[in-house]
This record gives sequence, structure tokens and C-alpha cells, in this order.
Amino acid sequence: MASHLTREWAGIQQFPAATLAKLLELMGKLKQENVSSLTILVMGKGGVGKSSTVNSIIGERVVAVSAFQSEGPRPVMVSRSRAGFTLNIIDTPGLVEGGYVNDQALEIIKRFLLNKTIDVLLYVDRLDAYRVDNLDRQVIKAITDSFGKGIWRRGLVVLTHAQLSPPDGLNYDDFFSRRSEALLKVVRLGARIKKQEFQMVDRVSLLERHHEALECNMDDFSSIMLGLRESLKLFAYTKKQAATMPMLEIAVSINDSAIPVVLVENSGRCNKNDGDEKILPNGTAWIPNLMEIITDVVSNGSKAIVVDQKLIEGPNPNDRGKFLIPFILAFQYFFVVKRIQRAIKDDISKESKPLWELRDMGLANRDF
Amino acid sequence: MAFYAPGQLLSPNLSPSLSSRTRKSTNATPSASSSAIKCDLSSTPNPQSFKSLSKTLAFSTATGFLFHLSSIPSLISPTCNGTGAGNGDFSGGGDGGGGGWNGGHGDEGFWSRLFSPAAIAKEEESPSQEWDSHGLPANIVVQLSKLSGFKKYKVSDIQFFDRRRWTTVGTEDSFFEMVSLRSGGIYTKAHLQKELESLATCGMFEKVDLEGKTKPDGTLGITISFTESTWQSADTFRCINVGLLPQSKQIEMDADMTDKEKFEYFKSQEKDYRRRIERARPCLLPLPVHREVLGMLREQGKVSARMLQRIRDRVQKWYHDEGYACAQVVNFGNLNTKEVVCEVVEGDITQLVIQFQDKLGNVCEGNTQLAVVRRELPKQLRQGHVFNIEAGKQALRNINSLALFFNIEVNPRPDEKNEGGIIVEIKLKELEQKTAEVSTEWSIVPGRQGRPTLASIQPSGTVSFEHRNLKGLNRSILGSVTTSNFLNPQDDLAFKLEYVHPHLDGVYDPRNCTFRASCFNSRKLSPVFIGGPGVDEVPPIWVDRAGFKANITESFTRQSKFTYGVVMEEITTRDESSHISPNGQRQLPSGGISTDGPPTTLSGTGVDRLAFAQANITRDNTKFVNGAVVGERDVFQLDQGLGIGSKFPFFNRHQLTLTRFIQLKEVEEGAGKPPPPVLVFHGHYGGCVGDLPSYDAFTLGGPYSVRGYNMGELGACRNILELAGELRIPVKNTHVYAFVEHGNDLGSSKDVKGNPTEFYRRMGHGSSYGVGVKLGLVRAEYAVDHNAGTGAVFFRFGERF
Repeated sequence: MASHLTREWAGIQQFPAATLAKLLELMGKLKQENVSSLTILVMGKGGVGKSSTVNSIIGERVVAVSAFQSEGPRPVMVSRSRAGFTLNIIDTPGLVEGGYVNDQALEIIKRFLLNKTIDVLLYVDRLDAYRVDNLDRQVIKAITDSFGKGIWRRGLVVLTHAQLSPPDGLNYDDFFSRRSEALLKVVRLGARIKKQEFQMVDRVSLLERHHEALECNMDDFSSIMLGLRESLKLFAYTKKQAATMPMLEIAVSINDSAIPVVLVENSGRCNKNDGDEKILPNGTAWIPNLMEIITDVVSNGSKAIVVDQKLIEGPNPNDRGKFLIPFILAFQYFFVVKRIQRAIKDDISKESKPLWELRDMGLANRDF
Repeated sequence: MAFYAPGQLLSPNLSPSLSSRTRKSTNATPSASSSAIKCDLSSTPNPQSFKSLSKTLAFSTATGFLFHLSSIPSLISPTCNGTGAGNGDFSGGGDGGGGGWNGGHGDEGFWSRLFSPAAIAKEEESPSQEWDSHGLPANIVVQLSKLSGFKKYKVSDIQFFDRRRWTTVGTEDSFFEMVSLRSGGIYTKAHLQKELESLATCGMFEKVDLEGKTKPDGTLGITISFTESTWQSADTFRCINVGLLPQSKQIEMDADMTDKEKFEYFKSQEKDYRRRIERARPCLLPLPVHREVLGMLREQGKVSARMLQRIRDRVQKWYHDEGYACAQVVNFGNLNTKEVVCEVVEGDITQLVIQFQDKLGNVCEGNTQLAVVRRELPKQLRQGHVFNIEAGKQALRNINSLALFFNIEVNPRPDEKNEGGIIVEIKLKELEQKTAEVSTEWSIVPGRQGRPTLASIQPSGTVSFEHRNLKGLNRSILGSVTTSNFLNPQDDLAFKLEYVHPHLDGVYDPRNCTFRASCFNSRKLSPVFIGGPGVDEVPPIWVDRAGFKANITESFTRQSKFTYGVVMEEITTRDESSHISPNGQRQLPSGGISTDGPPTTLSGTGVDRLAFAQANITRDNTKFVNGAVVGERDVFQLDQGLGIGSKFPFFNRHQLTLTRFIQLKEVEEGAGKPPPPVLVFHGHYGGCVGDLPSYDAFTLGGPYSVRGYNMGELGACRNILELAGELRIPVKNTHVYAFVEHGNDLGSSKDVKGNPTEFYRRMGHGSSYGVGVKLGLVRAEYAVDHNAGTGAVFFRFGERF
């Protein structure tokens, strides 16, 4: 099933014309930046729709998807090329088993990725899950521990099942922003992104929740940021519907670490617009949107993650400081052992002898 | 007979020699009357048998202790294989007799005879039918000479009559102890005459008489009337050590000397005596006691016999309290001058004899080389030093710690050739050189349904052998094999083979180095693969070690030592069912077991072989203050990998443990006194640079790490820091304590391969606090686990620090 052969991207033809045009445009854009291949790693908990997303992006049914069964235990790489541009998508098994992070699955994924370069990470979760828990954090942490913090600069949070009716009393935007906010928080905690950065992000989202005119906020915002002497870029991807549905996707980039949140709806019942494009409840055609954000992430200046042996095994703590051992040993001998030996000698000389012994040694002087 | 007369241990047969001396001195300085009886240490005068028994009893209180040490094992369990020789209970020297009573269980007759003189008197006299009636009218006074020489009189009453004060003195008077007659005793005329003679010659009395008074029941009441000797008052006091001084020549005073001759004679006597005083060595008696005696002298105008007795008692008391068990006041000289000279024999050692005895107590040739024993003896037991019982005890302890002898006696006895000298005899009974032992037991193992089945009844046991004292140099080889199933020993076989070679630098070198080599194996549950709180049962990992170890231990003091050597071992990690397990395991919620845990070994195969150097230096100056430990203890331990073994392990694993026991209150030391409150601080740092397999990782939590948690419950890490404080307050015979402890991995858990701390969901750090009470060997404590905030009661054996 894992076809490593690069095949012609046939599925791209199935996309509606608008989508196709957009995709081609993005490809061209990437090519201009000398990027001729793109490797996307899809990770997440089980049953959140990773494989479906892969299928949707490719436009073919390349990975088997089953509603009730977990996908295969092994990662799958799908490669498609079109006009000299290669798109690789790696679908992975769910990272969670039995309420715990499945280290074995992670191990398999790491081994699969050996000697590959990851351009983009899609961290997939469901939009219609209401809360985040410790498990999410551990999944993020497992990913971070495996590939390093840097992967989040190339990371996107993808929320599937975007076509939902939010619970009572919440409108869709609110729900989405809350959900993405909670998830981003978990990502930051799990990935141990600095608190400072985290606070900034918090502030950004706070600003955005009151969706006033972005420009005026921008000023406030940059003044805050300037105060913090931090360089900051704020991107807002707005579509033509932005007037009515603002803040569809938010990407906050701080210190070049941006984690955009993107919505996805893989279901066949997904609403479509006039151009037969699959759209989100807000009317965005999500596939081109996703690809565009991916393109942006790729070109945000961060480095792609090259998975090599060292990255997989992590820095070997057993090797750290080994060359110092002779010095440590010398230190221990001269400053610890010698010192204790001296202390013992002191003890012996200071030892309080019983009186009879002192008298015997003639030290008593008839005083006792 | 199994009994053992304790008196033989320490029986300075001083009385005869001393009495001869006193006779001489009485003659030499007519004014100086002195005492034969005074020299008897025993304060319980006996009838007849007094002389023979007083010697053995003389040191019984002092020797009871020695006896305790040396002969109890042989008494209580004559068949005990010797390892228990002197189980080393060095405390409780006060109640020396206690041991003796236990020991003599089967021989009450003997003991009672020994300890109650009256009984002996009875026994000795009784065979020929009781006593004879005096056969005289009642209530008449009979002179001693008028008594019949053939009758055995029963003395029903003894009275002392002081002629000078014209009063009857009670039995509490110090003179009373000089008389060996006791009411109720049966004596012949010869006995009574001898008694009178000894009283007359003792120098305490100017005049002494003995009269009998007949009683209606046929018994005799005895009245001893006396006039106490007195001398002119003195205002200086001198104490000299006359031990080992040669006897001054005896010049008999001729009865018909002219006055001039007499004068000459006295003059020469005085000169002799002065020379004697000059030649005498200074004695050990300290100035405070000296001053005290001087005070006594000044207080009382005239020097009286009672006075001298008191001085003697005081001086002797000091000597005996300080452990100079052989010290005796033998004479008071220079009386009738301004100065009282107290002559003391302190008990100078003239010879040290080491003797081996066979099981029957016959002197034999020992296998042990004398130098081995000799180097254990404190130099205070050598020739030229004053014998002190403490030195004797120390010798006993030291020799006992050799574990070569099942009976050790340190026995000072008077030197016949050298008056006032002491020969210290050390009598040793050697343990059997070769011993072998097989012990078996059957354990019934629960079978499938919890019922024991035939197949599961297993013979188990231990085979051990020991070859001690090779070449007489205390080298030994010992080995043992233990298995829980002899039919299938490969399942669970523990073996140990050890060779010990003490005195590596030679027996005569003062350095105390011991070489040890051993083959060993062990099986332990790894505390690394333990679940944190709330984690389901983690399948255990057993760490089997088998290997070879050689090291040299240099002892600086009894407790401080430096050990260094090499270890070569093979480590195998196994799961519950004894299969080699290269990774830690985890139970899945589905019930299955996943074996994707942290690697158990460095090689990743479940079997590691490695060689490394090991060093350990311990500085320990702790001591007991009334039973509480006070002092400092520092331990540094180092394992240095040599790059030999699977994956060429190269590492430096080090641990430093510092413990301080701070005494919070000055207390008087002594048996039965309460111990001081003690504050204990404890710090332990451990770290490892380089290759660190899981079985060598430091684990946090447990009774010896952070109390209140289970072993390894807090984590397994590369660097460890533990801090603890404990306050011990004595209560009655034991102590209660409160403690605070903290253990931290210093963030180094992730530096252990596979991060077992994280994998089994452990915190990596934790604190606890609690209170406890020591009940004998057991500590009962209530500890609150600070991570969970819950407390629990624990019972632990032994000390935490």
C-alpha cells in the first residue's frame, strides 16, 4: 500500500477548476522559491480524520479509510507529481492507544521517516471535540520530543469535521476560536514554547476575539510588541467573506514560530459552492485555503526538518560529557577522596582517648 | 562440667604476697601498722574457706563482664559452631554477675556455693553432724583459752567492743569487715585463735581480745574487745607506687639490743624507708583525690586506724573506679610523722603471655600465629604499663573481632617472681578451622488452585563450607550455595565464594589492609521499573548479577576505611517468568503487556558484561552517647567504568553522602543515663557521567531514600539529590523522631535512556514528612507523602541513616 513510487497526480484533475487553478498557482509560487517538492507529515490521535484529509488533498482514495476501524499500524507515504512539482504526504497511524501515547507507533513512524525531510507537519484534531486534556498535551509532547521544537515552525493545526453546528449558545466563530485557542495553548504547553511567546499569542487572540478593525488593533498590538522589543508579524488570512465572517483562520507568527489553525471538512456531504468547491460553513473553499497556508508556512523562512538517526534517537545522554570523565576522576581524587582522608586523619588525632589511656601515655599530669 | 568459674578469669592472687609485705613493713617501721586484711578486695569476709574463695571472688564484679564476653557462648551453647564466640555485647559492664547466673544454669549448687560463703561453711562443717554444745552453764563469760579444742562451737552472735570509747560497735563499723567470723557459723577453737591472731597482727589494734559468752541454747556469743591504734596527727599525704620495688631486707630486731643499737636500727630503718619512697614511682592518683584525702586528714586530729581504713577505701575506690583492678593499697608508712605515706601497688605488667588451649582447657600449640593476636592488643597491656581493666576489655573486643576463637580470657595474675607485678595471660581457644554445613528445608509452594501439589513441594537449602585461619594468618575461604530447589538448581541458585586475606602488608605492618576476592551472584527486583502513583501494576524486572569482585580495604579506624578494587560482572535482566527482557514492560489497558519500555541494559540485548573499578571511602567518627549516635559520617563512592564490556561502557558514577548527628544537649555519660536529643542532617548526591544502564540509575523513593514512598516510586535518574532532617527526642528507653525528606532528580530523568521515570509516569521528585517511634529494632512511622498529600504508617527494620 505504501507506494513510494512517484506517480502522476491524476487526482488533481478532479478538483473543481477554481481549486485547480489555485493549486497550480501555489505550485508555481513554490517553484519560484526553488521548492520543487513538498513533504507533508500528517499526525494526530486516532480517528480524527488524518487519512481522510490525505485523501481529500490528493483527490484520490489513496489511503484506506474505515469508519470503525483504526487505520493500518504503519505509516504510508503518498507521492504525486505534477508539472515537475512533487507532493509527498505521509499518513501515520494514530498516536494514542488505550489512553496513552503509543510509543511503539511513534517509534515506527520515526523509523519510517528516517532520512526524509519534513517540510510541513499537519497536526490533525477534530473541531467538534469540546475539550482538550492531558492526553493532547502528551501527544504534542511526544511529537516535539521526537522531532524537536523546530517542527512547530513548520506545523499547522488542522481541525477536521469543520461542518458542525456548535453547541447551544455559541456561534460558529466563537466556538472555533475557543477551540483553536484551547488547542493552541495545549500545543504550546506540550511543545514547551516559551511562556513569553505564549503570552503574546494569548494577547493576540484576545485582541482578535473582539473583532474590531484589524488595522487599529494592529497599532495597539505593535506598540505592545515594541514595548517587549520583540519582532512580530501578524498575518491574517481573510477572504472575500471576511467582512461578514472575519477571522476565519488565524495565524500568529511570533519569532517566526507560527502555528496556523486550518479547518477541514472531508465528508462527502460537505457543502459546495458554485464552483463545486468544498466549502466550510463560512464559505471558504478549504482545500486551496489549506494549500495556501501550507505554502506560506513553507516559505516562512524556517528550516525543514531532516529526520536522521540522531534526531530519532535524540541526543544520547550517555555520550554527553564522556570526554570530561578523566578530569572528573582527577577532581574526585584530589578534592574529594584526599579531603576525606585528611578529615579521617584529623579525626584520629582529635579522638578523645579514655582517661586511662592518657594516664598511660603520661599526659595526665595528675590532673585526672 | 559445663560451668566455668569466673574467678579464674581475673584472679590476681595478691593476698599472700601482700600480707608478707605488710608483715615486713610492720616490723620495719614499728609505728606503721598496716594491714593484711586491707589488701583483700573482697568486702564479704567468709569463714574458713574465705582464703581460698576470696581470691576467686576478688574480682568477680570486675570480671563478670569479661566473663560475659568470653565464656557465655560456650556456656549457653557449647555446641555453637563458634561464629558466636563472644557475641560482643559490650554494654552493661555494670551487672557483670548477670551473665554468670545465666551461664551456670545447670550448676546451681556450684554457683550458690561460690556466691554465698555461709553455705560453704555449712557444707564444709556439716558432714560430721552439726555442731557441739558448749556444755557449760548459760551466760558465763569464757576466755578463748578456756574453750575446748575438740568442740565445734556454733557462734550465734558476734559483738565488737571498743574499749576506748567504751561502746559496742555495730556491724556497720569498718572494723567489722576485717573479721571473717560470722554469726551462725561453726568454728573450732583453732579457728577462733587464728582469727584473733590475725586481728592482733593486722596493726589496726593496739590490743585485741576475744571472749565467748555461753548461751542457753548451747551456742556461743563472741565479743571482740579492742583498742584502736592511733598515731600522731599528720598534715601531708603522699601516695607512692611501690609495685616492683625490691623487698627491703629484713633485719630482725634483736630483743636485747642496747638503746643505742635500737636507735641505730630505727635510724637505718627510716633511711631505708626514705630511700624506698624516693625510689618509688609516682602514682596515678590524681590531685583532686589527693586533696580530698588531705582534707580527711586535716579534719581529724589524730590518725587512727579507722581513718587509715577510710583513706585506703577512698584511694582504692578511685583506682577500681578507673579500672585499675589490680591496684591495692598495701601499706601506710611513715606514721607518727607529719606525713602519711600510702603505698600502692598499681599492678604493673611484667609479662604478657598468650596461650592457646584445647577444648578441655589444656595448654596446646595454637594454629594462629601470635603476631596476629598481638597486633590486636592495646599497648597498655604490654610490659611496663599498669594493668587496666579497660585495656583488657579492649583486648577482648579486638581479639573477638578476629572471629578466630570461641573463648577468650584475659587474665591478670600476680607475678610470683616479681612482687607486685602482674602477668597478663591471654588464653585462647581456637575455633575449628574447617567447617561445612548443609541445611535443608522443604517449602511447599502453592499450586494451580492455591493448593500444594506434589510436584510443587521442593527441597531447598544451603550448602556452605568455611576454611578459616589459613596458615594461622586469619586468611579464610568460605563458600555457600543456596537454592530453593535442589532438584532443579539452575532455576534459582545463589552462590558465594569468598577469599579474605588480612594483613596484606604483613602481620607486623601497622597498616591494616585486607584483600578480599569473591564470586557472587544476586537477584534483585529493579526499582527502576516501578510504576508511579496511580499506575497499574508494572510487570517487574529482575536484575541478576553474577561476577567477580576483588578489593583492598584499608582500615584507618574501626569505622573509617578506604576500599578500592575491581568488579567484573554479567548483568541479566529478566521478566517475571525468567525470560531475558531487553526492555521494560507495561501493562496495556486491554490486559496485554507491551514490551516497548526503556531499555534495561546498555547493550540492548538484556545481557550486559562489564568491568569497572570501584572505590569507597568512609569517614565515620560517630560514637554512642548513652545509646544515641552522635558524630559525622561521610561516604564517597565511585564506580569508574573502564571501557571494558558490552558497548564499551565508560562512565563515572559517583555518590557522596554526608550525615551529621548533632547532639543538642550536653549530657552526663554513663550507663542508665538518658541519651541526648539529636538532630540529624543527611544529604546524598549521586551523579553519573557517561554510559548509564538502567540498573545503575539512581532511584528515588523508599525507606532509605525518601520515606513515605515506595522503592523507586518517585523516579529513576542520572543525578540525584536527597536531603533529610530528623529530630530525635529520647523518651524513656527509646526515642521518638520527626523527619522531613526531599528527593529530586535535578531534571536528569530524561537523561536516562528511555526515560523510565516518564515512561512509568513518575514525578521525578517528592517530599515527605512524618513522625515515628523506635521500638527496639523496628521503626514505626507515620509518613505523609507530599505529592499526594496522604499519609500512611510504615514499619521498617534498622536505621534510616
